[in-house]
Amino acid sequence: MGFSTGRKPWRSEPFQEPSDEDRASKQKLFFFALAVIFLFGILTIQLARLQLVHGDKYRLRAETNRLRQEPVLPSRGLIYDKNGTPLVANRASYAAAVVAADVPDVDLSADPPACDEGCDQIAIALQELTGVPGGDIEAKILERAASNDPFTPAVIKGDLTEAQAFMLREKLAGLPGVRVIVEPERSYTQGATMGHILGFVGAINEDEYASLEASGYQLNDFVGKTGVELTYESILRGKAGVREVETDASGREIRILQEKPAVSGASLVLSIDLDLQKKVEELLRAAMGKSENAAAAVIDVHTGDVLAMVSLPTYDNNVFAIGGEANDRERVRLLTDPAKPMVDHAIAEMYAPGSTFKQVTGLAALQEGVANANTLITSYGYIQVEDEYTPGRKYTFKDWRSDLGTMNFYRGVAMSSDVYFYYLAGGYSEGGKDLFTGLGAAKLADWSRRFGLGSPTGIDLPGESAGIVPDPTWKEKQVGSVWTIGDTYNFGIGQGYLTTTPMQMLLVTAAVANGGDVLTPHVVKELRDSNGNTIKLARQTVKRNLNIDPRNLNVMREGMRQSVADGAAFTGASKNVVVGGKTGTAEFGPQHADGNYDSHGWFTGFAPFNDPQIAVVVYLQHGNGQGTAAPVASKIFDYYFRDKNLAQGATP
Amino acid sequence: MISWRENRPFDFILLVTTLALCVYGLLLIYSGSASTRGAASLLSGPVGRQAAFAIAGLGFCLLVSRMDYRFLASGSMGMYVGLIGALIFVLTVGTQIYGSKRWIDIAGTHVQPSEIGKLVIILVLAKFFSDNQENIKDIRVFVTSLVLASVPALLVFAEPDLGSASIFLLIWLGMAIMAGCDMRHILGSLGMVAALAPFALIAIVTDYQRERIQVFLDPARDALGSGYNVLQAEISIGSGGLFGKGYMHGSQTQLDYLRTQTTDYVFSIAGEELGFVGAMILFSLFILLCFRGLRAASMSQDVFGRLIAVGVVIFILFQAFINIGVNIRLFPVTGIPLPFVSQGGSSLITVFIAVGLLESVIVRQRQVSL
Repeated sequence: MGFSTGRKPWRSEPFQEPSDEDRASKQKLFFFALAVIFLFGILTIQLARLQLVHGDKYRLRAETNRLRQEPVLPSRGLIYDKNGTPLVANRASYAAAVVAADVPDVDLSADPPACDEGCDQIAIALQELTGVPGGDIEAKILERAASNDPFTPAVIKGDLTEAQAFMLREKLAGLPGVRVIVEPERSYTQGATMGHILGFVGAINEDEYASLEASGYQLNDFVGKTGVELTYESILRGKAGVREVETDASGREIRILQEKPAVSGASLVLSIDLDLQKKVEELLRAAMGKSENAAAAVIDVHTGDVLAMVSLPTYDNNVFAIGGEANDRERVRLLTDPAKPMVDHAIAEMYAPGSTFKQVTGLAALQEGVANANTLITSYGYIQVEDEYTPGRKYTFKDWRSDLGTMNFYRGVAMSSDVYFYYLAGGYSEGGKDLFTGLGAAKLADWSRRFGLGSPTGIDLPGESAGIVPDPTWKEKQVGSVWTIGDTYNFGIGQGYLTTTPMQMLLVTAAVANGGDVLTPHVVKELRDSNGNTIKLARQTVKRNLNIDPRNLNVMREGMRQSVADGAAFTGASKNVVVGGKTGTAEFGPQHADGNYDSHGWFTGFAPFNDPQIAVVVYLQHGNGQGTAAPVASKIFDYYFRDKNLAQGATP
Repeated sequence: MISWRENRPFDFILLVTTLALCVYGLLLIYSGSASTRGAASLLSGPVGRQAAFAIAGLGFCLLVSRMDYRFLASGSMGMYVGLIGALIFVLTVGTQIYGSKRWIDIAGTHVQPSEIGKLVIILVLAKFFSDNQENIKDIRVFVTSLVLASVPALLVFAEPDLGSASIFLLIWLGMAIMAGCDMRHILGSLGMVAALAPFALIAIVTDYQRERIQVFLDPARDALGSGYNVLQAEISIGSGGLFGKGYMHGSQTQLDYLRTQTTDYVFSIAGEELGFVGAMILFSLFILLCFRGLRAASMSQDVFGRLIAVGVVIFILFQAFINIGVNIRLFPVTGIPLPFVSQGGSSLITVFIAVGLLESVIVRQRQVSL
């Protein structure tokens, strides 16, 4: 026996008589060895019966094997805006293909391999139908036939017109090996307007297949790549069915024997209002000037419904969903454009929020008792602080205007005084004596995080950025230097290391407007199954409540109202509604020769003041809060409330 | 030459046989996947993944072979408790694939605790039987060992995974015989199982299992569902004949007539493309592997090591026997992988560790006798 060869310790110990126990276990091992032989003997006999005795019968069955099992792909769910306007349509795209293994008269033994009579006829027929040179077709057939993959259809020409596909189908009977491949295609009705939100669908890649194979995806499947097409993939896709088909000898379908139908995917109803979306895009585009990119969004401050979300420049998602050479070129352009059209600037890019952040500093100061509505602070246009480590060395922190004078809290917000908020954030001391105690960096960072900054908002779109909320530990680790009072000052006015996405700042304003609820925003409102029934999405709209005294919220809101009424944000006022808002002009990059910096323009605001319904954020790269961002918001409010009062009056 | 052997009793024949089976499997997986994806991308696909698992498995194998298997005795009860926990976890929150819950998702990959569980059972039973050698004929020892094996077997059975559940019980049976339990008890319990089986089938077996058994009896009954695979596997293997249709040239394999053809039905690729001769090579490798395992058992100087070796041999023998049996229509569909050959990380790593245990027993027998 095999197992008893090799070293045999019991024989090298001749003085020790093998015990009964040893003999018994050796007997058993012999028995196990027999069992091994016996079991494989059974397998061998059955195998011989199948392969040797009945081999010919099975070979015949394999050759005429007419049963094939094929997946039936489900039709993908559609996407509608909140008013039911369809945003995508499913279409079919046709391709002519050849299964090399089924093409007759392919002589691979010739040198070079030859495409003889029957094969030649196929090449000629395909040339007539598709316009692809016959020589190329023959080369492709031969190449595929000689490869180790002759059974997979090789595409001769994609993007056939429906007429071409029909003609080809008619002639299939005389063209063994030729197939018409039908692939689903998504056609996006709004193109660039909804590009970032919808995303697009594309052919499944190696990695995606590896992770989705178990969920029933096929190799030639399609899968959402970005946008809601990606986040709601499992809902949109539906469930594939199976079909058993009888085929002829060349593998062509003759009839369907059995079918387990596919279950269509559910459709999405977005919270986006397409008309508003278009309007916001148009207004933002008009205001861009020399801005490379810009973003704006409108949200319902109670439900977290995103009503519009625009990022410019945008991209036409049809370019990715539909093949063709022109689209290939456009894809390369989109992916290499320095203005980053593929990036959703509303959620994926982070910038210093500038003075819009004063909402956070202000509310934190009110709630922590650092200030109240009547706290008076005087701005002489700047404050100076002594270097903590080098006595005598002074740093100057400027206000944006030198004539602001003495202000209470409302005016501090309304005029967006930097000095006022330097005090609130970092306090003020002179000659070693504390004249005003501020929040300090730790509390400010803590409040920023409570407002949702520094972590993704959880919106139902991929690719979101978290932004950065700095504090002394963060700076030590990331920048490698000690936190100074100047860092606290900069933090307090939304400059320095703090960065946020426009969506995060929109949620800050929404929380101010709705009484302190930090929302989880979403662009999909509800689902609709294939029978048209509405399915509500179970989810949490409110991430957390800030537990801020309503009186303090009122103080902040009033400050923001004054800001728009007669303060720094006056350009954000609307003729149709009372707005509360806050501008921001965030400086970035190196100082220019004239002492100025490049700046981003921001505006966030809410309306109507008395009963807030929506909040708006506008961000313009290379813009200015008062000059370019606020006017866009003003027109968005004008548009949104254009006949709201009329409409409200008309219904009882 | 002899002194080299004396110093390093590590069984290279066993290791080489193991690796040969692995390579055999990689070739079949390559052929079975080539039709569904471009050949060029295969290395990053299933073949690459399987090779990576094989390398990891080899690492585990060498690691375990260097470990003193007796060290595992102390931890076996803890592993047993962990196994039961994992199996309950799978039943409650596991991932469902092809109608049964056997997987836990860890870091994006599916892990099947019932695979590694088979080794845990081997260790637990080896420990239990060797601790109770004095009163091995006692019926209480016998019943306790049966309970030890039945708890995980029932949990696996509920997944439902009838195949793995029977492997658990076959391991127990083989080890009980080897340990020297009273043959009357063993035969008695087998008789009871035989008498109760028809009732159990009606009462306990779920729709899923009954369906699989019915399909086995009459594949045409559900030609679209599981019957489809049974039929196609039979055609694939039968049509292979003596020498097969040639590697990568099986029409059944290359046209994807079979679902899960690189996992449970990997043998059908061998049968079709490499024929009876190719299958005999595979059988010879398995027989050699089993014999080297039994050799390890005969060399072991302590009961614990001998029982481990026998347990491992039974485990690999019956996994192979049942899997191939399903492919050639001797058994109903059960979903047991072919050791070393089927695509799948959990199973591959488990059998490599099993070989590592055999090596550990072989290496240690010297240290015991000296």
